[in-house]
Amino acid sequence: MPLKFNLKDCTGCQLCQLACSASHDSVFNPVKARLKIVHDYRGNDIHIKAARCIFCKKCEDVCPVGAISNNGRWMNVDHDVCIGCGKCAETCPTGVIYLNDNKKSIICDLCGGEPKCVEWCPKGVISLKEVVSR
Amino acid sequence: MCRVVPEGSDFAEGGREQMRGSFWGKKLVVDLTSGTHRVEEIPDSTAESYLGQKGLGARIIMEDVAPDTDPLSPENELVFSTGVMTGTIVSCSAKLAISAKSPLTGTITDGSVGGHAGAELKYAGYDVLVIKGRAPALSYIFLSPDRVEIRSAAALKGLGTFETDTKIRKELDDEDVKVLAIGPGGENQVLYACVSSERYRQLGRGGIGAVFGSKNLKAVAVRGWLDVTVPDIQACMETAAKFHEADGIFRDEYEIYDQGTPVLVNLSQEWGLLPTRNFQVGRFDEYENINGDSFKSVRKNKKACFSCGIACGNYVVDGDARVEGPEFETIAILGSNIGNGDRAKLIEMNSVCDDLGLDTISTGGVLAYMMEMTEKGVHDFGIRFGESEKALSFIHAIAHKEGIGADAAGGSKRMAEKYGGAEFTMQVKGQELPGYDPRGSWGMGIGYATANRGGCHMSAYPIEMEAWGPLDPFTFEGKAKLVADLQNTQAAKFSMGVCDFWPVASDTLAELFQVTFGGEWSGEKVEQAGERIFNLQRMYNVMVGFDNRHDTLPQRFYKELLKEGPPKDHPMTEEAFATVMQEYYAYRGWDEHGRPKPEKLTELEIEPALIQRYRTAAGL
Repeated sequence: MPLKFNLKDCTGCQLCQLACSASHDSVFNPVKARLKIVHDYRGNDIHIKAARCIFCKKCEDVCPVGAISNNGRWMNVDHDVCIGCGKCAETCPTGVIYLNDNKKSIICDLCGGEPKCVEWCPKGVISLKEVVSR
Repeated sequence: MCRVVPEGSDFAEGGREQMRGSFWGKKLVVDLTSGTHRVEEIPDSTAESYLGQKGLGARIIMEDVAPDTDPLSPENELVFSTGVMTGTIVSCSAKLAISAKSPLTGTITDGSVGGHAGAELKYAGYDVLVIKGRAPALSYIFLSPDRVEIRSAAALKGLGTFETDTKIRKELDDEDVKVLAIGPGGENQVLYACVSSERYRQLGRGGIGAVFGSKNLKAVAVRGWLDVTVPDIQACMETAAKFHEADGIFRDEYEIYDQGTPVLVNLSQEWGLLPTRNFQVGRFDEYENINGDSFKSVRKNKKACFSCGIACGNYVVDGDARVEGPEFETIAILGSNIGNGDRAKLIEMNSVCDDLGLDTISTGGVLAYMMEMTEKGVHDFGIRFGESEKALSFIHAIAHKEGIGADAAGGSKRMAEKYGGAEFTMQVKGQELPGYDPRGSWGMGIGYATANRGGCHMSAYPIEMEAWGPLDPFTFEGKAKLVADLQNTQAAKFSMGVCDFWPVASDTLAELFQVTFGGEWSGEKVEQAGERIFNLQRMYNVMVGFDNRHDTLPQRFYKELLKEGPPKDHPMTEEAFATVMQEYYAYRGWDEHGRPKPEKLTELEIEPALIQRYRTAAGL
């Protein structure tokens, strides 16, 4: 079940990324978040892009050791099994999977069903359900 | 290209030695003359005394830049400083200050900019970046946790800030690099040149962009990926969430979110203090073309700085004109103050100033001076109020120092020395005034006169309590204390890196500082730090030669009455102003010349060596 983004209302503050790294890694570091907001300038126009897990499960398919699974709602990585080959990150179509300092795959786990990014988004942009533009 | 990996091994994977809370205690010093750099420690005690951002910048300028330094010489420094909370989840905490000795005013100055660059510097592993010297050729600095590079900017020469941003990110092949750049205005050392951060956020005031130019520095590009830690992350998250909620700053109805700063146009018009035609009058017939509703109608989307839940920024598109803005100051000074009620033209002017790298406030002030000089027949500059298209061509001429632009690039005060009409320069200490006529809110006048960087609305914002609040705007009674107290609180808040748009109590700041930096903090301790910082900046200015004679307002405000709206029939006399200034000095513990008394500085626990240097320089 992917996160829904109403990008039209996204202001690009990246509080979602801070909440993500804080709750999972106990640090503030947007680079470590499981989603990523990018400010994209085309000409002189500003667009905001959001990369996040779209629950395509391609990482699960490509994992050579079966470390990645899903419960029908979110992905799980068994770090005891993960060998840090990085195939999941290479395959991820949105580019949000990465290997942490211990060479273990990091994938959005929806915080076990209550995502911190949803809780912290100040403008109600992120949701587990379809959101209506404000 | 000169590529150097910083000395020390703490850039190894996984970070470096433990931070003190969210404060690295690290200052990167880059010397452009020699092309070298080093990392220096910032003791915790310095952060405790001066908090960060503005305060830390002032402390470093005080230490490093002699008061008689020519601001455009290699001896001046650019001090980039973040706040202790920058990079954490505390909202509105990601502002970056750049301090220097101002080429426009000769005072110490610090500009502040939002966007994402401040947080990026923190994630790169530094609280502070100091740039000294002068590069042999136009250059830009690229820094990240594993490198400090001084790279050629030859290919960027003469480019606007937008294109510079694009080209640097392309050259570095990294869309997450944050670029602080100058345009032709800074390269040509226009004395009020600004610095643009990620194109659409500007560090406008005091000519920091000209200091970049004097150092042959086109831009600073930053990229970071290190962890910022706090003593107890759970406590930090909970405390931040508690205050965000309690102060209601994330709510849709928070007016700074709804309209952004243009919300102030209607208020200023109603109160008859909207600077119009060089502050001749306080109401503008065409204000509805350029008010909050008008800009909201062409708004594409809202934009926030890093970690900010408010999102005051408006990205607007009107025909071919587009900008992130305009902010109220720009609307007032490039709008009503030059008789321009054309929304699209105003957006275009804002965008052109951002791209050329000019402060919109000083640019508008200089244009308004030339317009009034022409209309009053003192000197014909060939431009009159309301001539917006012509104003645009003047803006280009200023940035490139072409024709009359060469003189206009020095600011209105210097222009008046050549062309006369000092009474038409709406400036304090050489810095053009922002968008509030002090005759409509007298406390703002005290703020303008005493702000350490010259005419500025950021040192204190008493208008919120006067015209837009419960206090009588047309009296000086109680205002000396009010303004001084507000200045101290603002100095502390800005030094913590917190944006003006969170109206945050000192007790709240204390609690937030506690969960990010650590230690025991109270509102009182925060305010005392603010008073210390304000006094430190004043010490520097006194050492330069500033005193009570410079703490004045343009004569127009004493001699001419506003004829419409609430300020009507409320003369703010020069005598009354001089009296309140003496009250202000006494309340601050300064002498009658406006010089901080050494015993006051000791009481504020400013370092004895600094006090001694001040006493020697000031003859106290």
